[in-house]
Amino acid sequence: MIPSPLAQAVGDLDEQTAVTLVEEKLAKGEAALSILEELQAGMSVVGERFEGGEYYLSELIYAADIFKKAGAPLQEELKSAAPATSGTLVLGTVKNDIHDFGKDIVATVMSSNGIKVVDLGVNVEHQAFVTAIREHSPQLVGMSCLLTTVFDDMKEAIQTIKEAGLRDQVKILIGGGPVDEATREYVGADYYCRTAQDGVVVAKQILGVE
Amino acid sequence: MAGENRPELYELHEKRLRDAIALKTPDRVPLALNGPAWPARALGEEMTQVATNPMRAYQIIIQAYSSLGEIEAIQSPAYDVSTLPIMWLSRVKAPGRELPVDEIWQVDEAELMTVDDYDAILREGFGPWWERYMHERLPGVLEDFQEFTKSIPPAIQACRDIGVAPLAPAACTIPYEYFCGGRSMKEFMLDLFRHGDKVQAAMDEALPFLIEQMRGLIRTFDFMGLWIGGWRSASEFIAPRLWNRFVFPYYQKMVDAALEENAIPILHFDANWTRDLERLREMPKGKCILALDSKTDIFKAKELLGDHMCIMGDVPPALFSLGTPDEVTAYCRRLINEVGPGGFILSSGCDVPVDAQYDNVKAMVEAVA
Repeated sequence: MIPSPLAQAVGDLDEQTAVTLVEEKLAKGEAALSILEELQAGMSVVGERFEGGEYYLSELIYAADIFKKAGAPLQEELKSAAPATSGTLVLGTVKNDIHDFGKDIVATVMSSNGIKVVDLGVNVEHQAFVTAIREHSPQLVGMSCLLTTVFDDMKEAIQTIKEAGLRDQVKILIGGGPVDEATREYVGADYYCRTAQDGVVVAKQILGVE
Repeated sequence: MAGENRPELYELHEKRLRDAIALKTPDRVPLALNGPAWPARALGEEMTQVATNPMRAYQIIIQAYSSLGEIEAIQSPAYDVSTLPIMWLSRVKAPGRELPVDEIWQVDEAELMTVDDYDAILREGFGPWWERYMHERLPGVLEDFQEFTKSIPPAIQACRDIGVAPLAPAACTIPYEYFCGGRSMKEFMLDLFRHGDKVQAAMDEALPFLIEQMRGLIRTFDFMGLWIGGWRSASEFIAPRLWNRFVFPYYQKMVDAALEENAIPILHFDANWTRDLERLREMPKGKCILALDSKTDIFKAKELLGDHMCIMGDVPPALFSLGTPDEVTAYCRRLINEVGPGGFILSSGCDVPVDAQYDNVKAMVEAVA
């Protein structure tokens, strides 16, 4: 499918054109939801280019910020419209780790790809994941860390979710500097995501999104 | 090693290191230990002792690593957490201060630097701006760093006294890392797109100051080598056109300056640099060390750079923490055989992590015996 001019502008990181096109569409009376879908289609272009090695984290971050800036005028109308989300992710940096950068990138990239993100912040208590799962009924839980010392905290957080009887309701994705496939196995998560975009691909696959 | 002649032992160890750097094959693969946190845990000391007590830190680091067996080098025998905000313009949460006494320190990333600071750097000059920034936004750090520098000479001497080379008692880095830390990574990456010319002008203003600072450190302490570190400027994070503009030329200039001062530049590159490994052939041949943390493909590095640059690394932190001694031994043997034996120094990928199992660290040391 050929992307619309707005989706193309986001895909090409053409910030000014994206912002102008959204303003023009709103002025013409186009529905905010439909404009949002075009912006999300632009993020899919960005994701494809990331996977193809043309774009890097720098472009993912810039694209997500263009998405946020261009989409800002839509927010008022979107509040009263049905949210165009394909699923929910509860996300947090695990207990005893205060690093937020990787987690923040995941939150930004996931939400600009149409996934609702419930961000629990950093140094998240194990029980807080359980509470958030009960409250938001997510399909996905994301856990991040930058320290090997908190592998056990990640493992315990997953165990706490299991003991609460919620483990089968969610798929757990993990990532962060020292995390690898062996860590995934050790902590008992479902997926190890090397990059934020890996997370998007896995999330879309789980949610059955094109 | 009891009864051995320490000056001769030191010479032997330094020769092995220098042979590896010159891409020769020493009589055994040299070993360089690294990381201040694990030594505290291994000796049952509180983390505060290596984080904020530099006169005690070097003793703990040297004692823990040298007790493992014969080692050629300790990368950073001196340590204090003030070395982090100095380079990353960020706050650090330290044990005994913001954290319990036995927890590992963590960088507390926040947007302490603003877009307007690029203009301030151009207006005031980087040196005066940096001093003002440190006093206003990171009070106490420069004073702590001054205290830390007093521990460098005894740390170097203590290493030499037991025949161990203090390979890199300090770290320097390029302007990218300073600004990225101060702005926070997300905001800084947006700056590269939205204020690229201004960022570059500020970097060009900062570089001569940072190079002079590095030269001063090398001359004052007669360093054998030092880290020229890269963390957030890794290839995996930014597009080639940005890396070519904001990263690589600055490393080249710092490496050239370190070599002019007869210090070994150790490109301590964390995260994944695989894409740009070939560019490192533009650095002088047989003079530098490329230290990898296990995220870069070290075997690819050997293929692309093996005839040009000594490679150091890269037992993964997770292997130290979660693996078995047999797994560590097998990985070290693979490194020695495939990345070594010539032009290679065995080390941990970045630091030996605080929760590394003792037997796993010991297995790395025994792998070269």
